[in-house]
Amino acid sequence: MDGDGSTTDASQLGITGEYMAGSHFVLAQAPEGDEGLNDHEDGNGSKDNLREQDIYLPIANVARIMKNAIPQTGKIAKDAKECVQECVSEFISFITSEPLKLYLQKFREAMKGEKGISGVTVTEGMGEELTEETFTNPLPAGIITADGQQQNVMVYTTSYQQIPGVQQLQFS
Amino acid sequence: MSEKTMEEKVEQATNSKNVSLPMSRVRLIMKSSPDVSCINQDALFLTTKATELFVQHLALSSYKNGSGKETNTLSYSDLANAAEETETFQFLTDILPKKILARDYLKSLEEMKKDDDSL
Repeated sequence: MDGDGSTTDASQLGITGEYMAGSHFVLAQAPEGDEGLNDHEDGNGSKDNLREQDIYLPIANVARIMKNAIPQTGKIAKDAKECVQECVSEFISFITSEPLKLYLQKFREAMKGEKGISGVTVTEGMGEELTEETFTNPLPAGIITADGQQQNVMVYTTSYQQIPGVQQLQFS
Repeated sequence: MSEKTMEEKVEQATNSKNVSLPMSRVRLIMKSSPDVSCINQDALFLTTKATELFVQHLALSSYKNGSGKETNTLSYSDLANAAEETETFQFLTDILPKKILARDYLKSLEEMKKDDDSL
């Protein structure tokens, strides 16, 4: 990275080269939050290789919470425990994606008001919200904060290109 | 040893600042959503706490709605029924399908094939 914390190096940004070609961009990095971009967790780089125990919460904890919720004499079937475990993971994914959509929507509206930055927008990579005025350069800004504060890494592009079959960006 | 009622226990768990679920695991699941890079610590705690309350809510609703009077056991079908009937649990209908017997399923498959053939 350069001295001022900015970089245009594709590999350091973790973005594949095809998104960078032909664009001029500036990277502004806000101070890192608690998590930072460089987690040292296992399985961080490859989301495909998660084990079954990684995508669910431990069944003992889930079962304990369930048991505390129902009347004292009640019992819980084993397949019920397992299936609540799956429901819980589904719930977490659900409430993670919903605020993110809202945030991206607000972000898009805020960006439209900025002077001098035309043609910058956010695409969620799902294709359903692409309109005529959006361009296909994705603008990744994936953060979640409880109070909606921005603490993230953003890449601005000031020119646009049609990139056929553009997929969503993955920051790992 | 103080005797706590069920409501007191639930209330205490709700209001406590502790969570009984591992936050690191919750963070992993959150990160599996697309477009998520950093997660604020407060948001993580909030999500974990909300998940806990969700488990309590789901367990209690399913138990009350289901065959609690006879068997005193919370079974899978109770959960499937709750998912279908309660509006707040409708997002779970895909992963909590009601169970049907294999022969009923094969029968309905055959009927569907007959419909296709007759078209």
